[in-house]
This record gives sequence, C-alpha cells and structure tokens, in this order.
Amino acid sequence: MLLIQQVLNGVMLGSVYVTVAVAFTLTIGVLNFLNFTIPTLFMLSGMAAWALTKWGIPFGLSQALPWPLALAAAVVMTIVASLIVERFTFRYMKTKYGDATEHAIPLVSSLGFLLIIENLIRIGYGTDAQRMAAVSWDTTVNLGGLLLRAPQLISLCVALVIVSGLNWVLKHSRIGRGLRAIAENPDAANILGVDSRRLVPVIFMLTGLLCGLAGILFAINYGEVSPQMGEDIGSKAIAGMVIGGLGSIWGAVLGGLIIGITEMMTIHFFGADTVQVAVWGLLLVALFVRPQGLLGHHSIGKGKL
Amino acid sequence: MLLEVRGLDVRYGRTHAVKSIDLDLAEGEIVTVLGANGAGKTSLLRALQGAIKSGSGSVRFAGEVLTHASPAERVRRGMMLVPEGRQIFVSMTVEENLLMGAYLRRGADWHQDLSQIYDRFPNLAERRHMKASILSGGEQQMLAIGRALVSRPRLIMLDEPSLGLSPLFVNNLFELIKELNRSGISILLVEQNTAMALDVAERGYVLELGRVVLSDRADALSRDPALAEAYLGGHASSQHPIDQIA
Repeated sequence: MLLIQQVLNGVMLGSVYVTVAVAFTLTIGVLNFLNFTIPTLFMLSGMAAWALTKWGIPFGLSQALPWPLALAAAVVMTIVASLIVERFTFRYMKTKYGDATEHAIPLVSSLGFLLIIENLIRIGYGTDAQRMAAVSWDTTVNLGGLLLRAPQLISLCVALVIVSGLNWVLKHSRIGRGLRAIAENPDAANILGVDSRRLVPVIFMLTGLLCGLAGILFAINYGEVSPQMGEDIGSKAIAGMVIGGLGSIWGAVLGGLIIGITEMMTIHFFGADTVQVAVWGLLLVALFVRPQGLLGHHSIGKGKL
Repeated sequence: MLLEVRGLDVRYGRTHAVKSIDLDLAEGEIVTVLGANGAGKTSLLRALQGAIKSGSGSVRFAGEVLTHASPAERVRRGMMLVPEGRQIFVSMTVEENLLMGAYLRRGADWHQDLSQIYDRFPNLAERRHMKASILSGGEQQMLAIGRALVSRPRLIMLDEPSLGLSPLFVNNLFELIKELNRSGISILLVEQNTAMALDVAERGYVLELGRVVLSDRADALSRDPALAEAYLGGHASSQHPIDQIA
C-alpha cells in the first residue's frame, strides 16, 4: 500500500516535470533549439506569484493582490517574459546572423538570460526560499486508504488538460499544422507561405504559458518558492524529455512521470540524497538502451512533433 | 504579361547563381527553363517564389511589383512553387499535406477544391488519412502538385517534376501539366527531360552559368543545334541533338 502511495506521489510530483518537459519539447521539436530560459521562466512565475501576493505590483502600483489574481498575473508575466526572450535570443540572432549560427548562438544567449534573470531575482529578493502561505492548503482526498493532496491532484489535472489541449492544437488546427510544417521542413513551409516570423512567437507564448503554469503549480504544491527552484526542476524535465523521446509531446509526458516516480521511489528506498544519482543514472541507461527515447523518432534530428 | 522578370540577380554566399535574367510569361502559357545542373534554374525559381532574396532586378506578377515580397504574399497573389524533390511533409497525412496548400486561404471554400483534387488523383483519396511517407515517388509528386493546386494558383512553377519517376509516371505527369494548363493555370517548367518539356511548352529559355544564353519558341529550340551545345559541350554535329539528350 505504501508503495502504491509512493507511485501516486511520484505521478503527482511528475506533473510539474511534465509541464516543463513539454515546454522544452515544443521548442526543440519546432525550432531545434534547447531553450535554457525555461527553468528561469518557471522560477520567475513562482517568484512573481509570491511577490504579488506579498507586496503587489512593484513601485507601489497596487496593494498585495489576492492569490487567484496574483497567480493569473504571474502566468501573464511569464508569457511576456518569454516573448521578450524570443525577441532578443531567437529572432535577433536569426535575422542578424542568418543560418550560420544555427542553434549555438540562440542557445548561449538563452543561457545568458537564465543567469541574468536568476541573479536579478537573487539581488532583489535574496536567495532564501519564501513561504507562500496564501496558496498552500492541505485538503486531502482519501481514496481507499490512499491519500491524495488536493493541490497535487489539481496540478496533475491541469498538466494533463493543458498538454492534451496543446496536442489537439498541434494536430488539428491550422496554426498547429503550420508549426509542424516548420518543424519538419522549414524551407517547404516557407514556400507554401507559412511565415515563421509570425509562428515562432506562438511557440514562445506557449512556452511562457507552460512555464508560468508549472511555476504556480509548484508554488501551490510546496507552498514555497525560491530563486533556485528552476535549476532542479529544469534539469529533471530535460532528463524526462530525453527518456520519453526528443520531440514527442506524449514522450515528454511519459518521461516526466517516470522521473517523478523514480524520484519518489529512490527517496523511499535510499533516501533523498540519492535522487540525482538515480534520475541521471536512469537517463544514461535509457540513452544507452534506447537513444531515441521511449516514444521518440528513430532518427534523431529534424522532423518532429 | 502575367510574369515579368527584369535583370534578376541572385547571389548566395560567393555563388552568383542567377545573373541579370529577363523572363516573360503570358497568362495561359507554358514556358520551360532548360539548362545543365548548376545553371541556376532552381535558384531562379526559388527567387521567384521569394524563398531566396534576389540581389537586384525586378519581378512583376499580374501587374504588381513583387520583387521584395515574402513567399506568403506571392502565394496569396497566385504564385506557387512545387520545389525540387517534392518536399512533401512525410510526418503528416496525405490530407494534412493538401491542407498545407490551403494554409493562407481564409474561409472554408477550400473543401470543394480538396474533393476536386481527390477526384483527379484517386490514389490520394484512398490514402488520405495515411502518412505521406508511404506514398510512391509518383504519388508523392501528385501530392506535391495537389498541394500546390489547393492554393488556387494562377502560375505553378514546377522544379524538375519528372526527376526519379518511372517512364509511365513521366507520361502521366506531362499529361497532367497539359491538363492543368487547359484549365487556365500558367506554368513555368524547369526540366531535365528536355524533349518532353519542349513538347508541352510554347516557349523556352536556356540557362548557362546563371545567364539566359538562348530563348525562343519551343519548336525552334527543338531544332536548334546550339541547344545541344548548352548540354553536351560541342557535340552539335548530331542531326537530332534533342533526341540525344532525351
């Protein structure tokens, strides 16, 4: 029974990884770009939600916001931040240097954004973890002896709904087809009139949305945020994405859940110190046995989602 | 003139692919562009669709200057390139590929265009919900042309459509080109299969190292010994140079 409880806990913990892993998958799948600002955006959302509930909008523009409003505002802020990142990493580098840079320069500049934003937050709010009492509540649902905490259950549902929605958009909408066309063959898409300058910001908006949601889900789950919260989640989400299969959205979902379960199981059997060893060990084994990931394509490279 | 190209220049990197080309195409015409590999034919078509930037010169289409227009704008005006190697989306279904041709079309009237295309290509209709990767080379070419047709083009530019097709499919393809032309679509055709291209075309241009070295009516080009020279480098003594190339 305890073991089943741990698996359930793992699944719920995994829901945050899933959301972040899908954000990574989207930029990798469509743009072939590992967006290193994703952990920062995730952290930004959590910290913004905390700051807004505690102090309100900076420069005395508002009182402390009630938490539903603060959470919504945090998500919107994250989307805006993601668009700013797009403007100054991806678009600028692409237009200035063309294809010569391919993915190295956007990658490095996104890493720059990660470090700058994270350190600005540290300067502004210190490195301590901050309690978010306002949004942490502890209703539990008892399901035949298995305990499900309400916030975790909500995270899992939100994660699955948003990912299914995203998957539907990619499969069945015009914009989704355009994005998949760019992912598979940017040149052919361009010839057919798919304007990547208009669609690339859509990817970054979705990235911001996913990271924003993941950030506030994390805050609700743990009742605590910190400027470091993105590092751990970001690296585990990357591990989950790779295990699930690069470029596959359901692969990212599966991989994120596997990481969550692995983490809880490791804590259960070996203690919290061994989590990183287990997660990254699992990744290395997975890469060795199945380099394309569980649901990934056989050829690693272009042509994804 | 539907298409008027003046002094078009295309460079990328150190390659000067297209050098000051003039080209005209009247509404309803089939015009072919011939030349050896590397003569600049593909660069010319890609520049006309806006996929690569032209250095100087001008492109007018249906009276409008489109020299610096984006590919999307050109598609909206009725230009559509069927690129070399088909470039269909193999991760998508046949139907999704066709829908990509309707990407810029607003409203839902493209549904009937889709069913027209399925009438024309029954093979595609049968496989409409299957991945495009399972299609044969000939079917992929039909899909690439079908995808172009969904955009309701006034001008279709075909880049080496017969490349890699079986002789039977090549015949079907040229029949299709004539049929499309009869239905009112103008065609700019780049082909290695010189004899067949000159057979369907009204006029032709011969490119060599990025320049137009010869342009004439198709029947005159078929008889021109200089055309053989463009390909075979001096073996112009043959009585029927075109037959040799074909």
